[in-house]
Amino acid sequence: MAYLSELLGKPVADIDGNKIGTITDVIASPRADALHPQIAAIAVKRKGVDFLIPYADIAVLVAPAVPVSKRIADIIQYQVSESDLYLARDVLDKQIIDTNGMRVVRVNDLDLARVNNAFYIANLDIGSMGLLRRLGLASVASKVAVKLGRPLSSGVIAWHDTELLPGDQPMRLKVASDKITDLHPADLAEIISDLSRSESSKFLESLDIKTVADALEEVEPEYQASLVEGMTDEKVADVLEEMSPDAAADLLAELPEERSEDLLNLMQHEDARDVRELLTYAVDSAGGLMTTEYVAVRPDLTAAQVMEVLRETANEAETIFYVYVTEADERLVGVFSLQNLVLAKPDRRVNDFMHHRIVTVMLEDTQDEVAQVVAKYNLLAVPVVDEQHRMHGIVTADDALDKIIPTAWKKRIPKLYR
Amino acid sequence: MTRLWNRLKPFRTRILLLLAVIGPGIITANVDNDAGGITTYSVAGARYGYSLLWMLVLVTLALIIVQEMSARLGVVTGKGLAALIRERLGVRWTTIIIGILLIANLANTVSEFAGIAASMEIFGVSKYISVPIAAIAVWFLIVKGSYKSVERVFLVASVIYLAYVISGFMANPPWAAVLKETLTPTFKLESGYVALFITVIGTTIAPWMQFYQQSAIADKGISVSVLPYERLDVIIGCFFTDIVAAFIMIGCAATIYAHNLPIESAADAARALAPLAGPFATVLFALGLLNASVFSAAILPLSTAYAVCEAFGWESAVNRNLREAPIFFGIYTALIVLGALIILLPIKSLIDAMLASQTLNGVLLPIILIVMLRLINDKRLMGKYVNGRIFNIISWAMVIVLIFLTGVLVVTSTFPGLLS
Repeated sequence: MAYLSELLGKPVADIDGNKIGTITDVIASPRADALHPQIAAIAVKRKGVDFLIPYADIAVLVAPAVPVSKRIADIIQYQVSESDLYLARDVLDKQIIDTNGMRVVRVNDLDLARVNNAFYIANLDIGSMGLLRRLGLASVASKVAVKLGRPLSSGVIAWHDTELLPGDQPMRLKVASDKITDLHPADLAEIISDLSRSESSKFLESLDIKTVADALEEVEPEYQASLVEGMTDEKVADVLEEMSPDAAADLLAELPEERSEDLLNLMQHEDARDVRELLTYAVDSAGGLMTTEYVAVRPDLTAAQVMEVLRETANEAETIFYVYVTEADERLVGVFSLQNLVLAKPDRRVNDFMHHRIVTVMLEDTQDEVAQVVAKYNLLAVPVVDEQHRMHGIVTADDALDKIIPTAWKKRIPKLYR
Repeated sequence: MTRLWNRLKPFRTRILLLLAVIGPGIITANVDNDAGGITTYSVAGARYGYSLLWMLVLVTLALIIVQEMSARLGVVTGKGLAALIRERLGVRWTTIIIGILLIANLANTVSEFAGIAASMEIFGVSKYISVPIAAIAVWFLIVKGSYKSVERVFLVASVIYLAYVISGFMANPPWAAVLKETLTPTFKLESGYVALFITVIGTTIAPWMQFYQQSAIADKGISVSVLPYERLDVIIGCFFTDIVAAFIMIGCAATIYAHNLPIESAADAARALAPLAGPFATVLFALGLLNASVFSAAILPLSTAYAVCEAFGWESAVNRNLREAPIFFGIYTALIVLGALIILLPIKSLIDAMLASQTLNGVLLPIILIVMLRLINDKRLMGKYVNGRIFNIISWAMVIVLIFLTGVLVVTSTFPGLLS
């Protein structure tokens, strides 16, 4: 076990005993067959310039003075490739994402582990012990801690549970790994809110459109607006298309009118039309809360046919738990649940097993009224209709209720001095 | 009419950009005129007349240079100063700088509470009542997080500073003499004078200002393309604050120094406002001092806690409760408690306490400047926005002058009369 902080600054001598310089950095190479990057070379400061000595030429890495097994003249410098990491320059003291703890932390030190004559990055030390070690106080601190009877927590995370921020490395690919894209959007939002303004913009840039859309939906519209400020209009339009229309409408409502118009024009026609419709309603009315992505079928279909419809359209709908039944003119005449559908015989008509008494809300109903309806009837979603009983959209339970319950969980703009 | 409006479009856009960017520079500069500031400038004018005005001009230039650097660092890197020091210079330097910041900010917090005590004493309230109440109030202000509305109240109340400008004119100082002194440098090699010299520098260019402004700028996400506007924000702020400082000096010089009166307490300093406010001078002064002190007493612990947690990677939750962010919470609570406690000790002169804290700022400033210069000359960090040669020469000259002055101060305090 070696610590990066202990390696830095060590003198390096060649086989004749001539001093080459002092270690300024350690270079690691990610390996396809290992979770942990392998130490490939060390950077030694020689006459003001960095001299890269391949690991193979180093006799002993962990020593008070590092001996090299060749003469200076015989050393062939290491060729750095694009995916290589300079540990001191790019990782030490920088912020990284802890994908296990879903937070952003600062690297205090790196643990290098030795396996079969090679060194690998094992863990990142993010706790107080790492800090104390850097200050040379580690031994003192642990003695004091032992005396007090409370051992200091070590606070390390394994390398494979971390992700570097895309911002600072000019040579690395700017695409987020699966570790990040697999995180739940709410956790992504948590991480984004831990980052500074410029870092969060760079981070969002490294994500694919779908992930950005999902993560954005987990933050308050005001914060969404500030996050997309730096993005190009084309990218924002793509993200808006991926978001559910009610979320997209909320975001557009926060942006300056001119930009909002431009974005709507860039979006695909149908998506833009849905969002425009939602924008016409007051933000805190049923019309403002609703989404237009629901499943509606005709009363004369059979259960089997409905299943076919669901298979085709399920991806687009906000929820398929309720299926609504409308006539050709959009009038809402019935509703049934997925449970009803599954239990019905395949050849029965929808008209026969649907519920005829439907709980609805009007377009202008306030969010309080919608929430009360949802709570009273234990609904997962409630349809929104106009005076002619034509259906316009649905308000899902989480949207109805989270306007009422304080949305402390939803990430807000992390301003320093609120 | 529409034609005219359209032709003004580039001008309009510029104004809008300026308004969008403006804020950090102006607010930082305004907070600069805190309890320590008001006291220092008052004492400078009251004890040495107009003879320190020339120095205020130079200090203003120095302030603009330093704040511009901190603004440039914030805009180009998008990070706060503490985070930059940690990322570029490592843990050792970070510990030193944060240690300095803690000491200086504790001293400054003490000074703010001294200001609260002094202003309330004018109303006849003993410091043993006013300080604890103020400490609890400030603590709640931070915890409940209604900072934004407080900031607005503070800025509006800062209009009181204009009273100094008006009063300065009404006191009818000999303007020819004032101008002459502003343009003629003089210097005395006695420890009281040198101390005040450093104190004026320290109160105008306090270390916390660089950290606070850079954090505010990084937080706002100001992009590099509007850097010129941010520079304007900084320059306007520095200019405004030092005009007020100059008039505090002139006001005190014209009323107190001119009549050879002592300046031992805040009530004495209030005389500077007599030409404007007559018998209400003390009340006006007390209100101004109270406003500045309370707000700064809230800002300093908060920004210190942020800087420390930013540097060492500790949690600085927006909710600021004990469980989620113990160290953050602990730091600002400790600063408030210690600041208040120290003032409650039997101190002979609150004014001397305030001055001493600003002198400390001046002594510690060169170290912060050296660090900033290292960062701002790092090509990898700043790209094409590194310092130009002239900028560097001026900045390094400032550092050398400051260290020299501190040396002189130490010598003249330990061996008085050695150099005269």
